[in-house]
Amino acid sequence: MNQTSSRTAFRRLLMIIALAIGLVIFSYGWSVTQINLDRPQEAIRQQNAGNALRELLSPRIFDQDYDIQAATTSFLVSCPADGSTPGFENAAPTEGQPYIVVTPACAESNELVTVQGYNFYPDSLARMNWITTDGERRIRQIAGSTEDNFVTNDDGTFNVQIEVPRIRGSTGETHTIEAQGSFPKGAPRFSETSSLVLEKMVETVFLALIATTLSILPSAILSFFAAHNLMRPVRISLGNLLVGVVFLPVGWVLGSRLLGAIGLAGFHLGSGEAIVATAGAGTIFLFATAVSSQIQPSEKNVSRNWMRASLNKLLVSVGLVFVLGLLGGLGVLFGRQFDEGILGYLSNFIGSVGELIGLLMPLAAGVVGAFILSSIGTSFATDTLKKLDAVTARVLAAVLGAISGAIVLGVIAAIGMQAAWLGLLTPFIAALIAGSILPMLYDRFFASAAPNIPSARTVRQLLSWIGAAAAFMVTFSILSVGRTLIEGTLPPLTPAVEFSGIIIYVYVAEAMFIGAVLGGAASALSGLQATFPIGELLYNTTRTILNALRSIEPLIMGLVFVIWVGIGPFAGVLALTLHSIASLGKLFSEQIENIDSGPIEALQSTGANRLQTIMYAVVPQIVPPYIAFTMYRWDINVRMSTIIGFVGGGGVGFLLQQQINLLRYRDAGVAVLAIAIVVSVLDFASASIRERVT
Amino acid sequence: MLTIENLTKVYDNGFKALDNINLEIPDGQFVAIIGLSGSGKSTLLRCINRLIDPTAGRIIWDGLDITAAGDDDLRQIRRRIGMIFQQFNLVKRSTVLTNVLSGRLGYINPLFSLVNYIPRAERERAMAALKRVGIADKAYNRASALSGGQQQRVGIARALMQQPELMLADEPVASLDPATSHSVMKYLEALNKEDGLTILCSLHFLSLARAYADRVIALKGGIVEFDGLPKDIDEERFKQIYGEEAVQVEIH
Repeated sequence: MNQTSSRTAFRRLLMIIALAIGLVIFSYGWSVTQINLDRPQEAIRQQNAGNALRELLSPRIFDQDYDIQAATTSFLVSCPADGSTPGFENAAPTEGQPYIVVTPACAESNELVTVQGYNFYPDSLARMNWITTDGERRIRQIAGSTEDNFVTNDDGTFNVQIEVPRIRGSTGETHTIEAQGSFPKGAPRFSETSSLVLEKMVETVFLALIATTLSILPSAILSFFAAHNLMRPVRISLGNLLVGVVFLPVGWVLGSRLLGAIGLAGFHLGSGEAIVATAGAGTIFLFATAVSSQIQPSEKNVSRNWMRASLNKLLVSVGLVFVLGLLGGLGVLFGRQFDEGILGYLSNFIGSVGELIGLLMPLAAGVVGAFILSSIGTSFATDTLKKLDAVTARVLAAVLGAISGAIVLGVIAAIGMQAAWLGLLTPFIAALIAGSILPMLYDRFFASAAPNIPSARTVRQLLSWIGAAAAFMVTFSILSVGRTLIEGTLPPLTPAVEFSGIIIYVYVAEAMFIGAVLGGAASALSGLQATFPIGELLYNTTRTILNALRSIEPLIMGLVFVIWVGIGPFAGVLALTLHSIASLGKLFSEQIENIDSGPIEALQSTGANRLQTIMYAVVPQIVPPYIAFTMYRWDINVRMSTIIGFVGGGGVGFLLQQQINLLRYRDAGVAVLAIAIVVSVLDFASASIRERVT
Repeated sequence: MLTIENLTKVYDNGFKALDNINLEIPDGQFVAIIGLSGSGKSTLLRCINRLIDPTAGRIIWDGLDITAAGDDDLRQIRRRIGMIFQQFNLVKRSTVLTNVLSGRLGYINPLFSLVNYIPRAERERAMAALKRVGIADKAYNRASALSGGQQQRVGIARALMQQPELMLADEPVASLDPATSHSVMKYLEALNKEDGLTILCSLHFLSLARAYADRVIALKGGIVEFDGLPKDIDEERFKQIYGEEAVQVEIH
């Protein structure tokens, strides 16, 4: 009883302390953000803000032409010493023409004089000008007003007071006072600002549309890798993985050279000979269909024939690359056909896509080659590796592990050579590999009797951290990452090996050596049959990249792209696309993680493979949320594209920034109004579409 | 013949779901697996088609070592083993026909699925399967629009597409009302009697096991507590399987 009440008191005390700490933190924030209650009360600031706001809220949407009528009269600055009235020979007022009378006809600076006007346009805007001897014209605001214009009476007269301006050396000079009346001529029309804003607004909406569309496919693909429920069960035996990794670079080189040549041949064929190309594509399609229907899984018993399967993969990849090249070539050909009208836009678009395919062909062929060869190698390894005796398997594991480790760390180091902070990746990956070595040694020599007791788990954890830390520090110092970080310089480009155009720098070679040692040790210890959580690895890598990309604001990405592709909407498209890929990838993957897993289990039980399971059990469930999130993202992109122009990324933002800098708030108001209208319309549209699909 | 030798499953959290199970199930038998929740019924069924990888032991079926099969072999084996589930596991947004067709994927060229192409013969097969379970008229409805009993029949039709020789049924009627339960069990019985399928069906209610099964296997804490004819389960056996406080409930 007593104990509970003291505990309650203690808890209450803790709560009060927490509140006090919270209050202190909040107060610190109050002063950091320089919240100041005096400044908003200053009269001049209030007035300025009021003016700016008023102009922003009176957007210059329309322009109006005016008929201007003017009447002048002469005026003597400071009256003659003898007290006489200056007699000016003002023209006698003609019937119906506007004229003004100034009384008195002479006055000192800063004195008020009365101006009476007759025969002006009734009920319309007028203003007073002061014209000096050298012809300079200044607007005089009438007494008691801060506006340039005033309104005439309904009989066309006015009676206003103006102050004689203080102009140095003007004493005794005769100046001219002018009254200008203006009357609207013709109907009001859209202002130049309006049409400019409209043009930029169209650019803005399309900028957002293109960026959103471009991001859908990459983010949908990435989302599968970033979905934990799909990736966690994906495991592969270490032997298969190592063989795959070893074959990757070989496949890359072969692919980009051989497949790339085939693809480019298709490209040139397509861009040169349309009929031949179409016939060729058709033949290949028919051939591929025939071949792939021949290589059906056999009916009942398992007869695996990896030679046949490999041939199938090879044919499919050759066909794929060739057809892709052909299509690209045809696109370029089509792009040259038309210049104007709708067909002009189409041919420009398809031509660019074709050109892009041509540019990316060696890269795409390299990727396809790498994955095909690696998958052929893996399926070969599955059969072969099981038949090895223990010693050979162990040696092979060490060799394959060493080569794989060298490849992985070599690639990472090559990436690390690009920027100082990327250099940290190499020691980090080395630490990841090394983290598994000490625990495996411990298991082998000490803990084989009781592998699952909690203390052994703690020891393993500790050893893992020690090994990882050691590998990190060794790699860090061998590659002198610290120096690069501090000085901001990149590793020296000293070639270590050079053959057939491929240079391996000393820096990369060192990383490869570390990778070979660590990878060899780790895989020799774990053996080829150990399972490797490849899905978990892909998941974490994808997640990390997506999160990093998402945390960079599109405005900052825009800055970089403006340097790359120049000022204009293209830079904005690239920035928004990149950010949308990261953001949609994350949102999409969360949708995959939320699906009902029952159908996946059901389809696996029918013998469907992974691709089929995804197409029939996952895709139908994620289509509605994907559409909803894409609409939402378009909405966001429109809002972002209105300001991406601030850094030169095109769209209405650039215009808005210019007008604000020139203090033309009424013009800025047009842009603000246009943004508000478009954003709210899209907001409404995307909300109603989202409602309909879910 | 399905032979299970020394089958053991220990989950990652240390829970031992199956403890050294040994069973022999001849072809064409209707086997009911009973036991309390958590007794290992679902784990046993899922080990047979390797939806769950067993920790130790072997499963041999039709001369094939299921536990040792690689990915490709496993898919070849799985497409001959049908399975239906307590929660039906249909894609609720897809049509009934699509759900049924997805049972055939193991036989269809995987590249076809990229473009969502299904050969005409397979569509006809799917309609025939739907006709067999009496819901051909619902083929183009969304699966979510069907009642529980109808959804389970779609599940059976999907399994039929595999032309299975063995059918695993994981609590197929636990989400259904008594009348619908009997209708679903009758379809399973028909498959067993007419097509000669071996059926392994886990059930909560002993009365259902008595009505349909040739043989009852009772699991308790991952161990086979009883293996024999349904009529041999008397009050004493019943209390052994379900615990002292259990009372028999009839389901009509």
